Amino acid sequence: MRKGLSILLLAVVMVISACGSNGNGGNNVNGGNEPAVTNKPTEETSNGVTDAPAEKMYIPLVSKGFQHQFWQAVKSGAEKAAAELNVDITFEGPETESQVDKQLEMLQVALDKKPSAIGFAALDSQASIPLLQKAKDAGIPVIAFDSGVDSDIPTSLVTTDNLAAAGMAADKMSELIGGEGEVAVIVHDQTSRTGIDRRDGFVNRMKEQYPNIKIVDIQYGGGDHLKSTDLAKAMMQAHPNLKGFFGANEGSAIGIINAVTEMKAEGKITVIGYDSGKAQIDAIKSGLMAGAISQNPVGIGYETVKAAVAASKGETVAAKIDSGFVWFDKTNIDSEEVKAVIYE
Amino acid sequence: MDQTLVRMEGIEKHFAGVHALKGCRFDLRAGEVHALVGENGAGKSTMMKVLTGVYRKDEGSIVYKDREVQITDTRAAQKLGIGMIHQELNLAQDLTVAQNIFIGKEPRKKLRFLLDDKEMNKQTAILLKQMKLDIDPTTPVSELTVAKQQLVEIIKAISYDSQVLIMDEPTAALSDSEIDELFRMIAQLKEKGVGIVYISHRMAELKRITDRITVMRDGAYIDTVATKDISIDRIIAMMVGRDIYQPTRPDRQTSEQMEKVLEVRGLTRKNVLHDISFSLGKGEILGVAGLVGAGRTETARAIFGADPIDAGEIYVHGRKVRVTGPHQAVKNGIGYLSEDRKHYGCLLDMDVKTNVALAALGRFRSFLGFMNDKRLARVSDQIVEDLRVKTPGINQKLKFLSGGNQQKIIIGKWLTRDCDILIFDEPTRGIDIGAKNEIYKLLENLAAEGKSIIMISSELPEILRLSHRILVMCEGRITGELMNDHHASQERIMTYATDRFS
Amino acid sequence: MRITEIAGVKSKFAVQSGLQQLLAFGSLILLIIFFSIASSNFFQFSNLVGILLSTAVIGVLALGSTFVIVTGGIDLSVGTVMTLCSVMTGVFIAMWGLPVWVGIVGGLLTGAVCGFMSGLAIARLGIPPFIATLAMMMIAKGLALVISGTKPIYFTETPVFMKLSQGSLLGDIIPGFDIPNAVLVFFLAAIIGSVLLSRTIVGRYNFAIGSNEEATRLSGVNVRNWKIAIYSITGLFTGVAGILMASRLNSAQPSLGMGYELEAIAAVVIGGTSLSGGKGTIIGTVIGALIMSVLTNGLRILSVPPEWQTVVVGFVILLAVYADNLRRRKA
Repeated sequence: MRKGLSILLLAVVMVISACGSNGNGGNNVNGGNEPAVTNKPTEETSNGVTDAPAEKMYIPLVSKGFQHQFWQAVKSGAEKAAAELNVDITFEGPETESQVDKQLEMLQVALDKKPSAIGFAALDSQASIPLLQKAKDAGIPVIAFDSGVDSDIPTSLVTTDNLAAAGMAADKMSELIGGEGEVAVIVHDQTSRTGIDRRDGFVNRMKEQYPNIKIVDIQYGGGDHLKSTDLAKAMMQAHPNLKGFFGANEGSAIGIINAVTEMKAEGKITVIGYDSGKAQIDAIKSGLMAGAISQNPVGIGYETVKAAVAASKGETVAAKIDSGFVWFDKTNIDSEEVKAVIYE
Repeated sequence: MDQTLVRMEGIEKHFAGVHALKGCRFDLRAGEVHALVGENGAGKSTMMKVLTGVYRKDEGSIVYKDREVQITDTRAAQKLGIGMIHQELNLAQDLTVAQNIFIGKEPRKKLRFLLDDKEMNKQTAILLKQMKLDIDPTTPVSELTVAKQQLVEIIKAISYDSQVLIMDEPTAALSDSEIDELFRMIAQLKEKGVGIVYISHRMAELKRITDRITVMRDGAYIDTVATKDISIDRIIAMMVGRDIYQPTRPDRQTSEQMEKVLEVRGLTRKNVLHDISFSLGKGEILGVAGLVGAGRTETARAIFGADPIDAGEIYVHGRKVRVTGPHQAVKNGIGYLSEDRKHYGCLLDMDVKTNVALAALGRFRSFLGFMNDKRLARVSDQIVEDLRVKTPGINQKLKFLSGGNQQKIIIGKWLTRDCDILIFDEPTRGIDIGAKNEIYKLLENLAAEGKSIIMISSELPEILRLSHRILVMCEGRITGELMNDHHASQERIMTYATDRFS
Repeated sequence: MRITEIAGVKSKFAVQSGLQQLLAFGSLILLIIFFSIASSNFFQFSNLVGILLSTAVIGVLALGSTFVIVTGGIDLSVGTVMTLCSVMTGVFIAMWGLPVWVGIVGGLLTGAVCGFMSGLAIARLGIPPFIATLAMMMIAKGLALVISGTKPIYFTETPVFMKLSQGSLLGDIIPGFDIPNAVLVFFLAAIIGSVLLSRTIVGRYNFAIGSNEEATRLSGVNVRNWKIAIYSITGLFTGVAGILMASRLNSAQPSLGMGYELEAIAAVVIGGTSLSGGKGTIIGTVIGALIMSVLTNGLRILSVPPEWQTVVVGFVILLAVYADNLRRRKA
């Protein structure tokens, strides 16, 4: 019995200390300090809302996740914009990118807080539409980021043009392998917008422009590093003449690098990745990976918050905001332009 | 009022190899309380299960209200108006009194899928009032005392318009005042012309409320007598009065001569055991007799540490020991053979050698916890040989052995562990006659070698044959202790065993 | 007369227990033959080594799970505890700069402590294994994220750590025979597990508890303590899996691990261990894990669409357990 009590006590202590540190993290999110809230926003708002400036604008961002480095970078961009524009933001997302239902719950909770505007990166392009309709009815502007939804409710979509970015990966691949040969692709999943766009962007560009390159296999690894590794090995085994390998997100790309190392095929296969992260950066520096496409996650977060603030003030915002992407390889990895968008 | 409700005649029932009922008869009149008595296994329950459709009779006739009927299942019995109140309560604890009474026949509203709770509570209130019971129909059953729950169960039975009500040990869990309330209710039912079959071991109660008594023994009908014409002693004599094979009694030693190896003082477990005190001598076989539910197994489990106790002290070889779990009892040299061999006794899916070694595996451990399987096999072979276990080998799974041989393996398990105090709970249950004698011989040999044995048994001849001394228990108390000399008899034991302590 | 009887029963007994291994092993061989015929790329040294390597992590998890499943329990936490172990190893080696061996011991201990806590909750607090380990699964997942700060931890400073699974001791001794160390670790763990389960006292109690827990308790066995020990053993194996995984990815990935426990349980079950306890072998689990990875590898090489691969694996689990049931009923 006494043992049981002490375990319980331990658990409580752990929970409390964990909450404590979380609280600190939350405080850091809002940038400027209270007195800074002065006239600038008030002047711009139209008549009648005189008591509004006393309250800071609140913009929740419901993301696809938070664990992944990519989303941490988006978050940092959003926090940067929040500090500059002096608004409060929160940033949350489900644990895995398959938990569509959990994400909808988070969106519902965010809406219930009656925010000034909302940022939303849909895991499913259809499922959220009823909730977004509610937001529209309540007059809350929605800014979609990363992936769009099949609806015209969002005021704006801040995203990487994944089709174009993956197309660029195809161009680079062709250039590197000499315009002919067998190529394989590992994608994180076949249901999300980014997965579909990156796959199609790569595949279509190959078909249209490089008829001598044959895409022999496309498989899906769920973004799991270990599973993608075994997957890539099996694909290399099945296609011994493989010349190029494209990984459509960080986990897939790292899986391919691991597979190439383990199969001792360094130099025989041209690997092109997507997103950044320390492992990919190291692989590019060591020559294991030819190069990668990076989105601009910091830019996505930044532009989303900026667009949300503008929309809530009734300003017009562009329907589509391209946050841009870059190709980076050994030659430009240390340039300022690249350093600004990649993360470790 | 002398109309006969039920007449059962020539009832025969066989179970795989056992002749459970041999041409039994029983009749019940309207408005009478008719007791059905007999030892454990005399066939009372089987007889009543035939009447309530749990079992189907092999032969014989059942006449209900002058019409021969076939009772094929419990539903048919219920339709006829035959209800049974079981020893263990069959109420859903989280439902209300009314919901329990009307379960399966809930009043519906005009729309058939809606329940009419109002009507149900109203009807329940009427029923409760008729029986002069002050219970709110909407009370959850779990909030009632056991006695009140029992009364609710009776009302549930009569709500089917039961003409015949069978009560199996209805007073087992009740206090004296609660029993009075039950008897008042029985009297009311009698007035309404309900016939009641009353199964009980408590002789005093039988005298108090029954009109007639039917005695059964070994699956056979003995006699039916009017309660007022017969003494309790006579009933007991009828219950045990088989041709007693009078065994050679063991050599007796007075307990004073013996070195005490185990002493129990004031063992108490709330509502189960009350102030159990006794001692056990070296080389003694102490028989523990009593009826089912008297607290014998509970006593054994408490000493063995299998169940927690509320009070009491246990001394082994004069040294006070603290037993909070079986592993500590075993450390003190106490071994326990459960009455439920399959569930608590052995590992049916494991082989003979593992079962033999189970209590003493630690002794076959060598460096780093590796098992010394050679030595284990040698010891197992020895046990198999010593106890004359019939098995193709020590690698045979226990489930392929007969009951008697399984029991020998379990005994072997405790011998391997060097336990010198052995508690045998129904050691010959489910074992055929030949093997029984081998087990008897084994017990006698063990005692002769200086092991001390507590033997719980429901078979009085077994108790009388093996025990040096006999304890009799009733309702969680020790109600009698006798030396197994010429004064000891089945009748005396039964008298103690039915003696209600108050 | 009696001797011949004994001999007859004995040989029948041996055949029966042999049959169980044979059935699983037979299906493994059949699968390998099938894939070898279907694709010339399957039966090649490098691919077979690849299959073994991809079995290692799930395989070691399954070895650990075998212990609790033989007691009639279950451990749902092995997937995320494995992740926590790799994160702790990362903390020790990459963040605090401690020697590699300290990190390994730390990772193993983390697993053992998690198993110990699960065992404590089950044996002392009486919480059903399913619930207790479900709670541990979430606690471990959360702690892995908290401790790592949701970021992967890389072992780039200590290349020797990577050698732990990706290097090849055998390849150094026999040139060309490049079997990665992770595979050796897996087989070593299997041998240790097998000895533990079949030759030591803890294994003997393991079967006794799974066969009939109450009877074992009433035989004076301190069932509670042994159960805690058994869950700790499972935790220790989980720690081995965590280190293998970290070493293979050269990083501790805090967001992985969820769902691995189910694959481990599937491997155990395919290997003929009964979820109701009391029956099971380590060699069965090894074969079960191999069947799983041969199947996924083969289907990938045949370029079967990934969504169909999952369906096929599901049916194989059904089939394997059904075949095992049939065999038991006959026995």
